Amino acid sequence: MSGEIQVINVSKAFTIRHNKADSLKSKVIGIFHKRYREQRETLWALKGVSFNVSPGEVFGLVGRNGSGKSTLLKIIAGIYPPTQGKVQLPNGARMGAMIELGVGFHPELTGKENIFLSASIHGLNRKEIEAIYGAVVEFSELDAFMDTPVKNYSSGMHARLGFGLAVNLNFRVLLIDEVLAVGDEAFQHKCMDQIDRFQAEGKTILFVSHSTDVVKKICDQVCVLEHGLPVFLGNPDEGVEQYHALLRGNHS
Amino acid sequence: MSSVFRYRELIRNLVLKDLKLKYRDSVLGFLWSLANPLLLILVYSFVFGHLFTGGPPNLVYFLMVGILPWNFFAQSLMMSTGSILDNGNLIRKVAVPMEVFPVATVLFSLAQYLLALIVFFPMALLFFKVSVAWSWVAFVPILVLHILFTVGMCFIVSTATVFYRDIRHFTEILLMLLFWLTPIIYDIRTVSDSLSTVLYMNPLSYFILAYQDVLYRNVFLSLDRLMVLIILTFLSLGLGYSLFLICKVRFAEEV
Repeated sequence: MSGEIQVINVSKAFTIRHNKADSLKSKVIGIFHKRYREQRETLWALKGVSFNVSPGEVFGLVGRNGSGKSTLLKIIAGIYPPTQGKVQLPNGARMGAMIELGVGFHPELTGKENIFLSASIHGLNRKEIEAIYGAVVEFSELDAFMDTPVKNYSSGMHARLGFGLAVNLNFRVLLIDEVLAVGDEAFQHKCMDQIDRFQAEGKTILFVSHSTDVVKKICDQVCVLEHGLPVFLGNPDEGVEQYHALLRGNHS
Repeated sequence: MSSVFRYRELIRNLVLKDLKLKYRDSVLGFLWSLANPLLLILVYSFVFGHLFTGGPPNLVYFLMVGILPWNFFAQSLMMSTGSILDNGNLIRKVAVPMEVFPVATVLFSLAQYLLALIVFFPMALLFFKVSVAWSWVAFVPILVLHILFTVGMCFIVSTATVFYRDIRHFTEILLMLLFWLTPIIYDIRTVSDSLSTVLYMNPLSYFILAYQDVLYRNVFLSLDRLMVLIILTFLSLGLGYSLFLICKVRFAEEV
């Protein structure tokens, strides 16, 4: 069915290099000295992950640190190629990955200049950026600081500008990686409201979070990852319970 | 390559960003991009007008015809070593067509080349007593080929630097060597046959000679020379872009 995100048996191997030889010298020395030779180790960050996300669904990815959540998000976003398997994306849907807020912001540029630069990184043309500019400024509540270089922003202001931009990029599919852990309570509340609004608008959201309350509240389906393996797929309440069990198992 | 067109707004913003940042907070600001070539020409006029004389007639004009395009090429290549590497933070977090970065690098250098030309041509007419010739119209196609050739080379250099950081230092040395192996500050007709054979193996020689033909010697480019430029451009773009395409899937993991 089109309109669906299909993650089909995706595995991802990273090559971990000890003594990484990225200069010619170290390569040459490595030929003669075993001690300096590059050691390669393959790390499977994801092993055979499959699921479907229907249009309008909010899908949660939970798991402990290093379980492969962010890697999976990056593969779906097209940043990393999968080692095995594939990801089928809905035809022509604009997809936005919010791996980190304020990606591409340059500290020396003003807020306004950064909005234009960053939005174009996400593929918007000038007309589209001009159309959303007002909404970004309004959402971030930084009207008075648009001509100030971003290096003089507080980290909260930086995050507000980043989130204000991200929510206005009009993506059909949103990949959100823990971006809600920034800002004060009032701002976090605003972000949650925005996600509710996206949900109401029928946008598809893939969501990585450690906040199980949020996951229970907004997700329709969750996948629990453990060492790259999908150990649970289904109902959010049960998924969160599984996740808690994993955490307890780790402590005992 | 269609993504380069689709992301033209990004390319525009990347080039503008670099241009803005280059002179931000300096007193003269944007005027520096005009003052810079002006001072370069003045320094050369002093050195080669008073200290070292002789050489081809209208020596300073001859030198500038070769040096300005060389600077464009050298600056593009040097900057392209960081095109992918220095944007690692972005490449690891946003799915963006990475072709835009080397292209933006070349366009940034091109902007400075064009600004230098804006200073240079009036000076040539006023101070170097050069008169406009019909052959000057051939400057435009040569420039276009030179730009595309440079883009191809920058694809190669930016890709190679991701895997071997040495390329950055290697490029610096190579450019220095290449500068002397290109007939920029001497006339190719005055060098020995064996040396000119070497010079003709350097692709960049053909571009510099073409510039000198149309701007200095006031002759049109011969058809076979034009063909050489076109072939070099196709080779550079073809090889460069193929290499880039093959390697770019690994960029996010390597930078």
